[in-house]
Formats: sequence, C-alpha cells, structure tokens
Amino acid sequence: MTSVAAVQGRRFGWLLIDSYNAARRYVLRGMRQPDVIVGSILFPVMFVVLFGYVFGSSISIPGGNYRSYLMPGLFVMSALFTSNMAAVAVATEMQEGVIDRLRTLPMARSAVVLGQSVAWLVLWLPALLVMIACALLVGWHPTTSPGSVVAGFLLIELFSYAVSWIGILVGLTARGIQAADVISALPPFLLGFISNVFVDPARMPAWLRDIANWNPVSSLVGAVRNLFGNGIGPPPAGVWSLAHPIATTVGICGLLLVVLTPVCIRIYARTAR
Amino acid sequence: MTAISADHLSKSFGRTRALVDVSFQVPGGSIVALLGRNGAGKTTTIRILTTLLRADAGSARVAGCDVREDPDGVRRRIGVTGQTTTMDSLLSGRQNLEIVGRFCHLSPAASRRRAAELLRQVGLENASDRLVRTYSGGMRRRLDLAASLIAEPEVLFFDEPTTGLDPISRAEMWGSIRALAGRGTTILLTTQYLDEADQLAHRVVVLNEGLVVADGTPEKLKASIGWQRIRVTLSHLDPAELNRATELLGPRAEVVGRFLHLPAPDGLRSLRETVDRLAVAGIEVHEVALEHPTLDEVFSAVTTDQTPDAGMVTRGAML
Repeated sequence: MTSVAAVQGRRFGWLLIDSYNAARRYVLRGMRQPDVIVGSILFPVMFVVLFGYVFGSSISIPGGNYRSYLMPGLFVMSALFTSNMAAVAVATEMQEGVIDRLRTLPMARSAVVLGQSVAWLVLWLPALLVMIACALLVGWHPTTSPGSVVAGFLLIELFSYAVSWIGILVGLTARGIQAADVISALPPFLLGFISNVFVDPARMPAWLRDIANWNPVSSLVGAVRNLFGNGIGPPPAGVWSLAHPIATTVGICGLLLVVLTPVCIRIYARTAR
Repeated sequence: MTAISADHLSKSFGRTRALVDVSFQVPGGSIVALLGRNGAGKTTTIRILTTLLRADAGSARVAGCDVREDPDGVRRRIGVTGQTTTMDSLLSGRQNLEIVGRFCHLSPAASRRRAAELLRQVGLENASDRLVRTYSGGMRRRLDLAASLIAEPEVLFFDEPTTGLDPISRAEMWGSIRALAGRGTTILLTTQYLDEADQLAHRVVVLNEGLVVADGTPEKLKASIGWQRIRVTLSHLDPAELNRATELLGPRAEVVGRFLHLPAPDGLRSLRETVDRLAVAGIEVHEVALEHPTLDEVFSAVTTDQTPDAGMVTRGAML
C-alpha cells in the first residue's frame, strides 16, 4: 500500500518534471521567434536613446548624472514588459490546437502555466544582458560591492517573474491575441511612467507625486538604485514603501505570486475552447 | 469487455443543446464510428470522453476509468487525434513527439526512441527535423497520429480523421486505423461520411442534433435505408421520352428533375436490366449511375418510423 504522503510526493515530483519540460518547450518556441526576442531587446535600447539622450539632455538631476540615475529604472522597465510578452505568448497558444493536445496528456495541468512563467525568466535574459551592455556604454556603473549588484539584479528578476504572472492572467482571459497585447501593455506604461523611473517625483503635482511615490515600481527602482549606488539622496519623508524599498518589493512580489499563481492555474484548468 | 461506455450524456452550450441523453458502448478492440452532420454533437462527445469537456449530466468510462472521477487515469490510457492539428508549428516533428513523450511520463531515452520509431512508422523520417510549419496538411495529420500513439494507448479517438485530406492521404489514414485495430486498440472515430463508417467501423452510432438516432452494424444501417438506387439521365430533355422511359421501367420509377430514379434491389444486376430495357426500347441514354444512399437519406430513414424487423435500434425522433 502506498501512503498518501508518498502519492503526493510522486505527484510533486512529476509537477516539477512536467514544469521543466513545459518551460523547455516555451524556451524552444521563443528561440524560434527571433523577431520577438529582437523586439524585446530593441525596445529597451530605444528607451536608452530616447530618455538617456533625447529627453535626458533637458532633464537635470540634483547632484548626479542623469544616465546613471536612469539606467536602474530602465532595467525595471524592461522587466515590466515581460508581462506584455508573456500575455501575447499565452494568448497565442490558447488559440492554437496545441493546448487541446496538452490537456489530453497525463501531465500536471499546472505545469503548463508554471512552465510559461519560468520560460520568461530565461527568454528575458538576452534583453537584460543587452540592457546592461548599453548601460555600461552610456557611462552607468555601479559603485557598490559585487554582492549588492547581484542582489539588485536578483530583485529585478524576482519582480520580472512576479509580473509575468500578470501577463499570463491577461493571456488566459483576453479574447484574442490583439486584446491581450493591448491590455497587457497598459500596466507597464502606467506603472513605469508614473514613478521615479525617469524623473524625480518631487517636482510632480502633489496628487501625482503621491501616486508615484507609493507606486511599487518606485520602491523597486529605489531599492535597486541603493544596491547599485546610483541613488540621489534620502527618500522623501513619510512614504513607508520608499523608506523600506526591499521589503516592499519582496512583499508585493510575494503577494502577486500567492494570488496570481493559483488563479491562473485554475483558469487554465477550466478554460474550454 | 467494454472499452468505452457513455451513459446518458447531456451537454448544453448556453441555450444550444449539444447532446441529449447520449448512450452507447464500444467493445474492447473494435472500431465504432460516430456518424453525423456538422453540429450533430460528434466533437462534443469526443471532447467529453477525452476529458476536455465536462458533461452537464450523465457519466462515461474510458478504459475502466471514470472521465470525471479519474481524468488522469483516462489520459494515461488514451490517444487523441483531433480535427485540427495539435502540433507546435514552431518546433520540429521530432521535438514535438519527444515533448509529448515526456508529458506522457516516458523517460527521455524512451521518448527519443518512441519518437524515432513513430516518425518512421508514419513516413515522416525524412521530415523529422524540419519545423512543422513547413509540413503539408497530410503530414501534420500523420504527425498528430504519431503523437497520439506515443504512450501506446489502449483507446484511440479520431475526430474526423480524414476531413480535408486528399484521396491518397485518406486511404493511408484508413490503412493506419485498420492496422491499429488489428493490434487490439479500441477505436472511436467520428465522420460525416457514410462510406468511411462503412469501410472502417464494426458498429455505427448515428447522431443527429445531439441525439442517438441509430446504433448498429453498417450492414443493418444500410438495410434499414433500403438498397441502392439507379439514376438515369436521358440524352434528350424531352418530356415525352421521359414519360415513355418511366412507364417502361415500372411503377417504382419516378421523375426527379432531369433524372429518373428507381430502386436497385439487386445492385449491379438491376442496373444491367435497366440499361438493357432502355436499349431495347430505343431510348437514348446519356448516363446511368448506381447511387448509394446519402447521409441525408440515412437520417430521414432513421428519424422517421422504423419497422421493428429492420434490425436497427432506433431511439427518439427529431425534437
């Protein structure tokens, strides 16, 4: 007789193996779409040029170099856009017959969405590496220890993983690929621009400044700037999330994962075309 | 042993009733065809039996497992080839099959071996490392078939396996289905074509508007409709000549548009007799054809009153 624990253990083992294989499949798929990868690389490079030079020439940052101030924010922008790519990929797959095949196989159902989320961690890496290269080219350099730089990038990875689930949710629920694309492009723009990514919120009108200060993206960018040594002085008083940026980021990511993972798995398991 | 049993399955989509109290059984090792027009409920039935869809009411067992209680058990024992291709067009044929093998929980080595074996078996070994995007429709269908065979399933489902295929691919698919059944695999297929059901199936279940309207062997099904029919087209579209031919061929001949229809109880012999009689009478004939009953005639036959000795189990009429 097998005990309940043994059966559950075996199930969990298969879940890991199925998720690994699903992720591998999505990475293979992703690599067969070089246009998507190139797009994901060009987009942030365009941001470096636009904001680093076009707008950046007219933006001044008290006591600092604007491009060094900007780059940590652009790393985060690039992470935000993984949700957009994940949404399009999931919506595309939901339209194809492949999903029917997967549903009739004895694999763990949750492995399909888990695999998607893990695949985006991998597929996003080329974009991140190109961003780092660009950043070094335009004069950005961390001034802290290698340990804190690594911690900064790990924090961005965690955030990228968490927001890819927003994309998966949109991809699973949107009616069609275009809808998924448009809907999932909104949060990165709103969260990215109404924040401290491009400018210091101190000069924004009061109502907008509060939104920008409490925006979790601002916390992450603040945390990363501190870890890279690209900060410009102390955070504004009275904003808890900016005073404790790492805790806020980890908390928000944890919350997103705890809520979105089971929701997405459920929706995937239930959706019938 | 019964490999598939559907018991009183019902399913609605909004106000559309897709299935109404559908019951049938598929004995182990046999081929059963679900025959019906578009929208008759064939695909819905297959989707319920393959755990893709939940029935609103009723139950079903496949290979000894309940589709609702133990869907994973069902999935371990079945293979499904759908109407649309389910292969990833961005991966090669081999990558597709190996991944399906891994998802069926074969080891990496076993997945590779099975994939190579099946690619050879379905005649895709030369295309195995090409992206599926470059495959023709027939090749995709064969790859789909290979994917459904990876884990050597006990029960196979084919949803319209030959729709959209050219005649040669169609004959190949029939050959594959027969070969699989020859090895003891139970097969449930759906089709819109009477001749396909006739060619392949040991038993035919006829669905119409979500209802089982007939269930029996192809022979019984055909017997219930009556025999074939002769269609005569005269050379001259002359009403007088048409009347003369009708009188000549007896009371069962009837004029339908430009044609003359009459029953052919003895098949080819009736055909020959008809040709002879027309020739003797000097009526010029453009074409004489022996026609098989069409699907529409099957439906009108099985949905209207049946004589009990026709041998068909007929349940329910059109709503």
